Amino acid sequence: MSQRLKLGKLWDIYGTLCILLVIVVLFSALSPTYFTRPENIVQIFLQSSITIMIALGEFFPILIAGIDLSVGSVLALTGMITAQLMVAGFDPTLAVLIGGVGGGLALGAVNGLLVNFTGLHPFIITLGTNAIFRGVTMIISGASPVFGFSYDFVNTVTGFVGFVPVPVIFALSFAAVLWFFTAKTRLGRNIYAVGGNKESAFYSGIDVKLHTLIVFMISGLCAGLAGVLSIARLGAAEPAAGTGFETYAIAAVIIGGTSFFGGKGRIPSVVIGGLIIGTINNGLNILRVPTFYQLVVMGGLIISAVALDRLIARMR
Amino acid sequence: MSNLAPNTAGPTGIEEAAPIVRMIGIEKHFNNVAVLKGVNLDIRPGEVHVLLGENGAGKSTLMKILTGIHEPTGGEIMLDGVSQSLVTPREASEAGISIIYQELSVINELSALENLFVGRLPVKRRLGVPVVDWKLMEDEARSIIGRLGLGNLDLHKPVGEMPIAHRQIIEIAKSLMKNVRVLVMDEPTSSLTSVETERLFALVRQLKAEGTAILFISHKLDEVREIGDTFSVLKDGVSTGHGHISEYTNDDLVRMMVGRVVKQRFLAEEPIDRTAVPVLKVENVTSADRKRVRDVSFEVHHGEVLGFAGLVGSGRTDLMNCLFGAEPRAAGKIVLNGKDITPKNPVDAVKSGMAYLTENRRQTGFTPNFTIEGNIAVTKSVKDAPFRGTWGLVDRKAERVIAEEQRKQLSIRCAGIDQSILELSGGNQQKVLVGKWMSIAPSVIIFDEPTRGIDVGAKSQIHEIIRTLAAAGKAVIMVSSELPEILAVCDRVAVFRNGRIMDILDGATATEESILSVAMRDGK
Repeated sequence: MSQRLKLGKLWDIYGTLCILLVIVVLFSALSPTYFTRPENIVQIFLQSSITIMIALGEFFPILIAGIDLSVGSVLALTGMITAQLMVAGFDPTLAVLIGGVGGGLALGAVNGLLVNFTGLHPFIITLGTNAIFRGVTMIISGASPVFGFSYDFVNTVTGFVGFVPVPVIFALSFAAVLWFFTAKTRLGRNIYAVGGNKESAFYSGIDVKLHTLIVFMISGLCAGLAGVLSIARLGAAEPAAGTGFETYAIAAVIIGGTSFFGGKGRIPSVVIGGLIIGTINNGLNILRVPTFYQLVVMGGLIISAVALDRLIARMR
Repeated sequence: MSNLAPNTAGPTGIEEAAPIVRMIGIEKHFNNVAVLKGVNLDIRPGEVHVLLGENGAGKSTLMKILTGIHEPTGGEIMLDGVSQSLVTPREASEAGISIIYQELSVINELSALENLFVGRLPVKRRLGVPVVDWKLMEDEARSIIGRLGLGNLDLHKPVGEMPIAHRQIIEIAKSLMKNVRVLVMDEPTSSLTSVETERLFALVRQLKAEGTAILFISHKLDEVREIGDTFSVLKDGVSTGHGHISEYTNDDLVRMMVGRVVKQRFLAEEPIDRTAVPVLKVENVTSADRKRVRDVSFEVHHGEVLGFAGLVGSGRTDLMNCLFGAEPRAAGKIVLNGKDITPKNPVDAVKSGMAYLTENRRQTGFTPNFTIEGNIAVTKSVKDAPFRGTWGLVDRKAERVIAEEQRKQLSIRCAGIDQSILELSGGNQQKVLVGKWMSIAPSVIIFDEPTRGIDVGAKSQIHEIIRTLAAAGKAVIMVSSELPEILAVCDRVAVFRNGRIMDILDGATATEESILSVAMRDGK
């Protein structure tokens, strides 16, 4: 095997990590006093946890050469349902199971079933459901935030284990489960097969529709869990929560080296992709870059990161 | 260089023209792997030179060096007797070397006219504004297409709507407009019907008579014999023979390509008992549109290979899709060893022991992002019981054993089972797909064009596998557009036309003529 090939393989695995390191070094140089403090590192992880959660979900539709544009609205709607259940007196655990887990799976299933039955590209379906889910969130909440749920819930979800925030533990352990799922289970591997070539998967006897449905349900589940994290962090369910989050989720997945054409990508790289987004946000905040400028920088960095990835991939 | 001066007298003693292109001792290494190890090739005007060799022998690499896409690592190329250490695509094109790839490079969305002039649309001025001179284009195109015998072609139709044969002629016309002296044709007949092939050959002969040198790459020996004058054989990057085709037998050529004699006919050795209960019984299969497949019934007996012949578009592949549950049916029943297994979908089909090697390995066959191992193992997760199958864990150890077994059994030429399937030659990719189905030990196997675009060695190996499966009591169905292949392997031949079986012929007595006459017979 030649030197170039080896470099390519290494880049597949460690490329995203390199990009993260470059960004960390950059911000450390620009803000040596604050950026590198341990509290700030913990803060970066905390800020990234929701992005990581929805990016983990978004990874799957992209893996089958699709996309899920509705994750931001799913986050809002599931958060809203969970909040309303808690306010109505449901036990928080039950509310999370119904609203976050059940709601996320159900909304994902709606996307998956619509994709399967209409045969339309997921871009179109989820562009539509994104608006529908957001609308339903507004309708059931009267477009006003819901708050006043139990301190127990807020404290548990926003608490710490040692010095590590609960959402970080949650996101990372969920990532570990999904990593195992993609790398070790047959279902996970068959999703890669569907992503590589739907038709040969179909002719090999893989149930492409079932796998498509599962893919969107995972995406919904992740967004639903992110919805629960989000209402706990804010202490309220905002009807406009998660607007534009699909951009961050897609960016994290793509920066993580996942191919837009399907069949190629790794969960750990997606986690690092989410961390990159979080780090950039955090660093720009520390440098007191105004929000509007932050958007410009973020966009530029997304394009550069992916362009760099392509460049290196082409060197193979 | 004087010792390398062309030998102008051929073996027949007839004076031969000086070669337009001489390739001497060409070597090419990729990442320290030698693909070509000193290859010689002479191309002379007014001659059809056939380049033979198995998949992976280095034919494509040699062509890429000839057209300037690759730079040779060693050796010498002489264009019109002038030595060139390096040929650039531009020099190749100026020397009149033009190549027609197997995957045609016409742009399907554009009309024939636009394709012919793409990149150099003629312009005239109207009120000082440059506009495309359609009139001039049409006149030029008419004359050249007319020369190729397609005078009444609609030049304004998008070429994507034309049959492949016509697209190919447009591609040839494109080269002719550039004053071609050497025309390279890479497996030009692989997707043509026999009538279209005849027409193409007439064209090749005409070009030859006009003094064009033709380099013809093909796996079909009969066809090579019909059209070729001289030949060169490549095996593993080395020239293993050259000469006048008429002086060698097919066996000689195959031996040069493969290094051994390949068996040509593989009919059942044991007599087939057609009074016993058939292994597979197919009843009244009709496609959902009731047009492409109409009321098809047949039986496959123990030890037998049933062939499906017919023209392209007669509905054979649609029938196979219907059998496998990949296409909706209006009616039909499939009975295996007395048990109804009619599959609702491919998942059902695989679970009940059916295997389907589809006709297009790139589109419906392999999974490009997987290794050899992954491609072979993919069916196993379907065949196993749902709990362990779909929801269970990947057993890498067991899968490696299975993949390794298939690699050995089918002698898949690769660096190892962890190699990406995209890096293999067509024949080896096809063998991986055969392995994917063999690994689940199916009871019914459908082979749709199993040897399309693969070389003689791999071909006879696949034929042997097909035979072995039949002997083991599996129901084997083979669809092929290559009649010699049908005759070599099938014990009975179902001739398909317009979505139905016109007749089932006995393989031992059938001939190409008898099959064709049924395939072209008018049916209702």
